[in-house]
Parts: sequence; structure tokens; C-alpha cells
Amino acid sequence: MSESKTAAFFRAEGTLIKSGVLQAAAYMASQRAGMRERLLRFGQTALAAPIFGVLGQNDRTLGNRIAHLSYRDITDDRVAILAEEYVEDILKEKILDSGLELMKQAKKDGHRIVVISEGISEIMEGLLPHLRHVDELICNRLEYKDRKATGTLLDPIVGGYDGGTWLKEYARKHELDLERSVAFAGHGPDLLLLSSVGKPCAVNPDFTLRKAAKEADWPVMEYTA
Amino acid sequence: MSFSVKSEYAGKHILLTGGTGFVGKVWLVMALTRLPDIGRIYVLMRGKGRSVKDRWLKIVNENPAFRPLHEKHGAGLSKFIADRVEVIQGTLDSPNMSIEDSVADRLRDKVDLIVNCAGLVDFNPDVRVAVSSNLDGSMHVADFAASCKNAAMIHVSTCYVAGTRDGFISETIADTAPNGTPLDAEAEYKRLQEIIVETEAENESEETVKALTDEVVARVKKRGYEPTEKRVSGTVGRLKAKRLREVMSLAGMDRAKELGWPNTYTYTKALAEMLTKSRYPNLRHTVLRPAIVESAVDFPFPGWNEGFNTSGPLIYLASTWLRHIPAKPGNPLDIIPVDLVVNGIFVAGAAVMRGEHEEVYQTGSSDRATLTIDRLTELSALGNRQHLRKTGVNRVETLLLSRWDAVASDPEHMLNVSNIREVVFQVSRYLRHGRPEKIPSEWKEEAENMAKTADKAQRKLRQIEEVLELFMPFTYDHYMVFEARALDKHQVDEPEFRFRPEDINWRKYWLECHMPGLRRWCFPKQYENKETEIYTPKVPFVMLEDGAAAAPNPQEAR
Repeated sequence: MSESKTAAFFRAEGTLIKSGVLQAAAYMASQRAGMRERLLRFGQTALAAPIFGVLGQNDRTLGNRIAHLSYRDITDDRVAILAEEYVEDILKEKILDSGLELMKQAKKDGHRIVVISEGISEIMEGLLPHLRHVDELICNRLEYKDRKATGTLLDPIVGGYDGGTWLKEYARKHELDLERSVAFAGHGPDLLLLSSVGKPCAVNPDFTLRKAAKEADWPVMEYTA
Repeated sequence: MSFSVKSEYAGKHILLTGGTGFVGKVWLVMALTRLPDIGRIYVLMRGKGRSVKDRWLKIVNENPAFRPLHEKHGAGLSKFIADRVEVIQGTLDSPNMSIEDSVADRLRDKVDLIVNCAGLVDFNPDVRVAVSSNLDGSMHVADFAASCKNAAMIHVSTCYVAGTRDGFISETIADTAPNGTPLDAEAEYKRLQEIIVETEAENESEETVKALTDEVVARVKKRGYEPTEKRVSGTVGRLKAKRLREVMSLAGMDRAKELGWPNTYTYTKALAEMLTKSRYPNLRHTVLRPAIVESAVDFPFPGWNEGFNTSGPLIYLASTWLRHIPAKPGNPLDIIPVDLVVNGIFVAGAAVMRGEHEEVYQTGSSDRATLTIDRLTELSALGNRQHLRKTGVNRVETLLLSRWDAVASDPEHMLNVSNIREVVFQVSRYLRHGRPEKIPSEWKEEAENMAKTADKAQRKLRQIEEVLELFMPFTYDHYMVFEARALDKHQVDEPEFRFRPEDINWRKYWLECHMPGLRRWCFPKQYENKETEIYTPKVPFVMLEDGAAAAPNPQEAR
């Protein structure tokens, strides 16, 4: 009987990259066409900051929804060009080498590498070549109508508390043995993701996750580069 | 029924007019590249101040469109071309196209297809020139085609013969003017000729001559000279000629607008279609109407473009501090890459030779892959952003101008070109006449320099304003979608000849192909006062007699 497959799940924000969705949304807002539009959208992005602050350690869905509202009416052309710029100018520099090492090791160990990100597909797909070992990317997707973003994220939204439910479905589809799989994440809402695999690891955890990791006796890793 | 373009053209002899223009050159190079078994191609050319042979040599050796041929054949290109191409001296504005009689007789026997790409693509020309090129010229080509033993003809026109009609423009030749007036093409042709005669007479009238003379005398006196007969008559003669060109241009434009065409170009092209249809009912011919022909997507190489084009001024404007492009969001601007147009010409040409042709083929994108003017404006802004971020000469360009996005806006917007020009004019006036009298002489000098700069800017803004006005019918006033389905009636075996605008990825085309192409091939001459880059082949092409002479020694050639 052949051995079933395993995967290594990496939550991108905090594990592989230093930057989060707020920075990306703020960058996009500041590069809209026209000063009025820039100010309006930048203000909308700023509104999401306290939401992430208050609820971010439990459920980031609302924060994500508000942050991405600032994408409203931006064209797919502009998103594509700005995403390219954002990756090249900013995000590439925010990649955590230690995270890359973890990914390299996981790949060597025979795991399928799955990156899970709150970031939008236009940005994350541009980042993939720099992350090198990724087999699959799961990230947020903007909804477009007539080539313009509606400001709504398509379901399922990554970053919510239902990551674990989604993971079980994913494992069944890809015939993954979750018991022998690994996961690296750093936010409270990733608890279900970490608890669904046999080898969880909290990376640069926030308060909620650190507490949970301690209680569950999960390994905790800290790195800044 | 499907056919192979290669087989249809194998052994067929083609007469090409307008072969030195943008579309004509791409047609010629594509024929020589993709149709190796084509018969003989006769390229009708004017010398333009030099011998036809010299002009042909210069074109083949310097024009970048010929690059694929040089790269493919190297030293063998001279023989390859000599075996397939014959350059014929002639001009469309005379009957029989001024082709030498013996040559004309030979062509009448041999030619299977006439591809008429010639025409004047100036929107607002002297009406005499427009009639001569677009009407008389087209009739001379059709006359010649009708006198050939077995020639079919494809006449390259423009989608914009639709004039100021709005909505869906079908692939038919209308028998009314765009304003709905029934139009007798013959009568209109005569009317145009009468307009020319009347305008000439008016320019020679006593009243006009007297007004010009009085003006010149006053001017001469003002300068402190004696208004002698010799001095005055010479200047009056020059002014009369200049005035004639201006009134001729206005006369054409007025008549065009009266009937619902936005300019003389589209009006005369429309009349040419109607006249050919009514005068030559037995001639196997078809009309191919391209929309706005722009940079190649693939052939002869991505981004190839030359000369004046429609999107160039808009893109150039989007790269400046003037960010308000007069354009109505949602209006399609029907851009079509030159190589797709040429594909259409080959397919329509094959169809007309087979006698299976349609009356009109439109090659545009609005029906199948709409590009709206607002999307085009944003793509231009994004393209300039990418370009300036990489190549900006200072931080103002890399950080500020690159983010100074152009937007489609109402022509009456407060910051439109006209208002900005007015502000610049007022600044210049203040610097010259409104500044305080008692200021240091260095300041005066500085003010004078600034006024000169303002004058220059004002002139440039005026040019831009004029170009924008010319394009307003297409960018703002009218919503037009050109049907482009007739070519689909012919199933073509070779994928490289298919007309498929829906395959264009506009973002990729605009940012990676068209804008870099314009910057390289068009902007230097049009806006930067520089010479256009020329191609230098490793082994120059030389004229051989029908392929009889040997190819040149590459070493010697170098």
C-alpha cells in the first residue's frame, strides 16, 4: 500500500512575509488616479486598521472586507500594474528568509507546499516566483464587474475563522494525510488550521495564538528576517 | 468553403499601390515572407524627388519593416526580391496611373489582383489634394483594373466613411450621406470639382486681391518702406497661394460637415467607395475598411509603427502634465493592429480572386474585442507610469509625473488644453507688458526668457489642441461599433492569416507593444524633433535585373 501524501501549509503573512493586507491596500489606494480618489480610498483603508487591531486575533474576515473596500472601482488593468509594482518595490523586500528556509526544508521532506494568504491574487501570484518552492497558492480574490473591482472579496475569504473547515475539504480532495502534515501560522484565526494538522508550529504568534500554542504544547518559532 | 491563402496566391501576379505607406509596406513584406510561391508583385511608386529605383533601395535598406526579410535572406535578399518584385514608376493622379504604355500593356495581360492601399490620410487637407489622391486616384486604379484581362481589385478604405452615424455600422456601402441625405456619387463628385473651381475663382477675384493688396501695403508702410509695385505684388502672390490652401482646406471640410462627415478624408474616401461601386458594376472588386490602424501585434515585429497615427497624440498627451483627455467613457476607439488588417487584405484578396467576395470587409476591433476610450486612457497613463519610473530623468519625473494619471474627461473641463493655453498666454502677456516698470534689468531679462518659454509652450499646446479637435468625433462625439464579420465567411486554412481581434490582450498589447513602438518609431520625429531610427542591414539590398545577376559578396557589401 502506497503512503498517502502530506502537505506543509504556510500562512504567508507573518511566516513568509512581514507585510500584511493593510499595507497592500494602502499602497493601492495611494496610487489611484486623481487626488480625490486617493484620499478617499486611503481613508477607507485606514478605517480597517482599528478593526484588525480589535478583532484581528480572533476573526480577520471583517477587517479584510473593510480593507478591500478601498479597491472599489479600481480597474483590473490598474490592479495588475500596481500589484506588479508593489511586489517588485516593496513586498519582495519583506520576504522572511527564515520562512523560505522552512519551506525549503518542508519541500525536501516531501511535503506539498501550500501557501495561504489574505493578500489578493494579483499580488500573491506576482510574489510566487520569489517564494520559489510553492505548489499551490490559496488567497483572496477580488470580485470584478465590467473590469472594475466591486470592493467585495469572493468567498471563501482567507483569514477568517473557518480555515480549518476549508482545510479538511482540501485534504480530502487532494488525498492528504493531515496527521502527517505540517502547518506554520502566526495569527489567532489560524488556530483551526494549526489544530487540524499533526505537526503545527506557531510562527511569530500574536497573543491569542501564543496562549493557545502554550496550552497545546505546540512549538513556537520567532524570527524577524 | 475553406481555402488556403498560400495556394490562392501561388503564381498570382499582384499590382500594389500605396506600397510605400504603413499598411502597404507590411502587406508587401508579409507577402514576401509568408507567400513564397506568389507570382510577381508590381509595386507602383512615385520617385518623390529621386529616381524610383533610389527610393525603392532606400526603403528596402532603411525601413525597419523589411528587417524580417533581411534577417531571413541575408545576402540572398537581392535575388529573392528581384525574382518576385518589380518596381513600376507611376502616380495615381493621372489616367493610366502614368505608367509607361508598354509596361501598362504587360500588366493588363498579367495582373490577377490589384491591391489599392494608396490614399491621403490627412484629415483636413487642401480639398484639391484630397480629390486628386482619394477620388481621382481611386478612379484611375479602378479604370486600370477594368481594362485588365483578368484582374480583380481590392480597395482599401476606412471604417470611418460612416461619418457621424452612431451605433452599429454594417459592412455595406451606404447610398446616403451620414446626415441621411440621399447621395448621387457622380453628382457629388461634380459638385466637389465645382467647389474647387469656385474657390479658385474667389481667390482670384478683384475683392480678394484688393483686400490682400491693401493688407500688404499697410504692412510695408508700417515697416517704413515704400510700397513699390514689385515689393507688393510678390508678397500678394505668396499670400494668395497661402490663402488658397487655407480656403481649399475649409471648403472641403465645410462640404464634408454639411453632409455629415467629420472631415475631408472620410468624405472623399466614402465617395470613392460609392463611385467605384456605381461606375464599375462588372469589375470584380471589394472594399476593405480598416478602423484605426496601429502598431503591429506580431508582424513584421511587435510594436512596428510609423508616421502619424490617431492614438499617438493621445498617448503623448497622457505623458505630460495635461491629464484631462477629452473622451467619453464607454465610447469604443476602434484600434486595430496593422498585421491584422493585412491578414484581412490577404483573405479578402483571395476571396475576390475566387469570385466569392463580399461587398465590404471591415477590419476593426469594436465589434469583437471592444477597447473603450477610457480604458485606453488609463492604459496609456499606466504605460507612461511604467516608462517614467524606469527612465525618468529626475525625481519630478520618476515620482511625480509618473503618478500624474491621465483621465478621460469632458472637453469643457476646467483644466482642458484650451484653458491651460489661455493661462499660459496670459502669463506670457503679463511677463512682457504687465510687469512693473521699475525692476532690475536682470529681472527684466529673466522675464523676457520666461515669456519666450511660455510662447513655445503655447504653440505646442495649440498643436495638441488642434489634434484633439480633429479626433473629437471619434473620442467623444460619436459612439460607433463597426461590424467585422464578413471575413469570417471565409474559412482560412493557415492560422497566421486569420483575422482574430478577439485574441488581442489589450493590456499586453498597449503596454508591451504599442506604447513602446510609438516611443521608438513615431514620437522621435513627431514630438522630439529627432530623426527616426533606421534599420541597417548587414548586407545591403541591391537592385538586380530580374534575378539574373549574382548576389553581392557579403564581404564587399560590408
